Amino acid sequence: MLVTLDEHGRIARIEGDPSNPATGGHVCLKGLGYAQRVGYRDRLLTPMRRRHGGGGFDPITWDVVLDAITERLTRIRATNGPSSVLYYEGSGSHGALNGLSMAFWRQFGGCTTTYGDLCWPAGLEATRLTYGANIHNHPRLTRDSRFILIWGHNPAETNIHQWRLILDAQERGAIVAVVDPRSTDTTDAADIHLQPRPGTDAALALGLARIIVDAGLHDTAFLGAHAAGFEQYRDRLADYPVGRVADITGIDPVAIQDLALAYGRTRPALLIAGFGLQRHHRAGQTMRAVALLPAVTGNVGVAGGGWQYANLASHCLRELPLPQEPDGMRAIPVSQVARHLETLTDPPVRAAWIERGNPCSQNPAAPRVRTGLASLDLVVVVDQFMTPTAECADFVLPAKTLFEEEDLVTAYWHPYLQWRAKILDPPGEVKPESEIWRLLCERFGYGVTWFPVDKIAYLRKLLPAGHESALEALMERPLDLSGRGDIAFPDRRFPTPSGKVEFASEEAAERWGVGAVPEYTPLAEGHSSALAGRLPLQLLSCKTRDRIHSQFGNLDWVREVERPHVLDISPQDGSARGIIDGARVAVWNDRGRIELEARVTPGIRPGVVHILEGWCHEGDPDVNALTAEGVTDMNHGATFYECLVNVERL
Amino acid sequence: MSGAGFLVDLHRCVGCGSCVLACRIENGRADELAWRRVLPLNLKRHPGGPTYFLSVACHHCDEPACLRGCPSRAYEQRADGVVVHHEDRCLGCRYCEMTCPFGTPKYDERLGVVSKCHLCADRLDQGLAPACVAACPTEALRYQGPGAAIGADARAGVPGFLDPAGCRPNIRFAPPKGARRVVLFAALEKMVRR
Repeated sequence: MLVTLDEHGRIARIEGDPSNPATGGHVCLKGLGYAQRVGYRDRLLTPMRRRHGGGGFDPITWDVVLDAITERLTRIRATNGPSSVLYYEGSGSHGALNGLSMAFWRQFGGCTTTYGDLCWPAGLEATRLTYGANIHNHPRLTRDSRFILIWGHNPAETNIHQWRLILDAQERGAIVAVVDPRSTDTTDAADIHLQPRPGTDAALALGLARIIVDAGLHDTAFLGAHAAGFEQYRDRLADYPVGRVADITGIDPVAIQDLALAYGRTRPALLIAGFGLQRHHRAGQTMRAVALLPAVTGNVGVAGGGWQYANLASHCLRELPLPQEPDGMRAIPVSQVARHLETLTDPPVRAAWIERGNPCSQNPAAPRVRTGLASLDLVVVVDQFMTPTAECADFVLPAKTLFEEEDLVTAYWHPYLQWRAKILDPPGEVKPESEIWRLLCERFGYGVTWFPVDKIAYLRKLLPAGHESALEALMERPLDLSGRGDIAFPDRRFPTPSGKVEFASEEAAERWGVGAVPEYTPLAEGHSSALAGRLPLQLLSCKTRDRIHSQFGNLDWVREVERPHVLDISPQDGSARGIIDGARVAVWNDRGRIELEARVTPGIRPGVVHILEGWCHEGDPDVNALTAEGVTDMNHGATFYECLVNVERL
Repeated sequence: MSGAGFLVDLHRCVGCGSCVLACRIENGRADELAWRRVLPLNLKRHPGGPTYFLSVACHHCDEPACLRGCPSRAYEQRADGVVVHHEDRCLGCRYCEMTCPFGTPKYDERLGVVSKCHLCADRLDQGLAPACVAACPTEALRYQGPGAAIGADARAGVPGFLDPAGCRPNIRFAPPKGARRVVLFAALEKMVRR
């Protein structure tokens, strides 16, 4: 984006960058929101120390805070070892320099980090197992599509730039179909909308494939040359006749049939999956089942076709030079922070350092993360604002915004690497994280040669080999350095063990202990589980256009236009409980209970309720009081959407 | 000939509010004094009608009621049809608030004058699009110059928007598309006509 400063050096205007082909030169609400966020009245401008006795914080100097942290970290390490310190980093602010934290922790002797991701890992692994790499067609080829199947994804709210291209395709005559238990701004614009029960997508995908193959609409030439294990997969499809699939998914069999035939007959057809259908235990097998549909119909390696999940083509930077990894490193799954704060031994966690993240609102079992942090000897939080997590800290350090330090930023939809210019000096006492880590290394007497002296020279060395001179061009506009061209897998060669699209994956079976051919397995906490007798409603906590998780929700500008914090419930489920629109309700399960207002809407599937995640206005209920600390079948993701609840009117 | 104004594509608009923010950044009017608003229709998604969003500011009418009703000549209609309000000439009598059927002029208690959207006239004069149009991430909100062909697709009114005072507002709507929305939109129009 392009930023204009006024004569006082404040942000006067934020506009889209017309040289970015992915955005068309437009900015989203959050991008515009930076004009308020950077100088916002609540921005943390100095280090803060918790007052003795717990109530509130006092500003302190960097010298005092770094001395205090050094003293306490040294003491904790002496008693419990380095891995008694948890280092938790979120994704709140992207940039290559974020990795410099490890220059400290590795010299410290180690720490406990997190592995996996709260967001998207099962889908990434499913894509890698199927196609060999998370590489997709250039976004602009979306316009060439004749049929766009959007699955568990709401781009009208969560990827507005992608939505622009989908609308363009639709205006050119493409059919848009959406699979989503909710009605959203995306489903409103669609031509076809199917609302399955959450967690049954694998059955739907296999059912669609069965209809396509039975009708002879599969691409036999493509499958013959470029598919591995198609025969086993075809045998598996025998278990998914449309009647059974209709029973599992709760969708009219005629609608399933119609979607299968429309998708199977129209070329090129694009399948775009969101992160939504992989937030449960069966995530990886589900995503594999869905990801195979474009291969069944031969929609791979063609403009306007393909599979889209998360395009990692821009993830081409070299690794940061860092000290050797010490023995004292340990890692816990990121979706189970609360559990490990409570139960980890040898050594137990005694201190935590948290930056770019807000686990006290955004992690599963968030209230237990809060109590877990409260029991520690030291909590340091680096943030721009006083988040629910920062409230738990002993020391809060003020973080930079993206305008206050140079960096290189990768993407996960378009293929562009972007230069992030430093256009503002950090305000007040704010220091970039890279500087905080350097100062801490100095306090400990560690080597600081790992830290950049000249950031531009340092970042240039991170560019992929042969592209070092591209830095100046990058400063002008986003660049695709992948050298791959617009079409993914144009030669239909796939970097999988077989070199083909893997309908049966021995690697999946070996690495994750799942079936080599994807299948549908009911969720342990799903609509057909025993627990559903007592807690019959499936709770989804989806993303909104107004925030990036819990970021931006504190700004006046966003609050003015934001969607309300309500429980969406169907008229059927509402009337069975005496709930009318606007009523106060309690939502509970065995993990927690929250109270909020109900919005009775025919848009949501009966049996499903929904609350937007990331709402952490002071004193308001947090949906993650209800969510479970599960781990996905592949790649250590979180299971936010595998969450049964009941609702009652207050 | 009709003057300059806005076109809102009801298929492309997702009600994201970027236009509201862009206006505020450009023109500095906030909260209840904001010049641009997004009015949602059927946010609860009742099955009888489509859900869509009307992003509205001033319609820069051909027959502006604000201008006609202003005793202090604070309003000016430029040659391109842009209706500009000059705050330095405003008495704060609030007549325009009463005469404008769209609720466009906003009275600022603190300053004692009204204000409203001037279509970013200074940006137009530099050949730039209005701030709200430039920001719109889906290209749903568009600027139409004076005398611009309305286009076969666009229309002057949709359910949820009327011209009760005969002001001939220069706002155009492209109706919703997509199989489901088209059916719902037709049903809604029929209901409203009846």
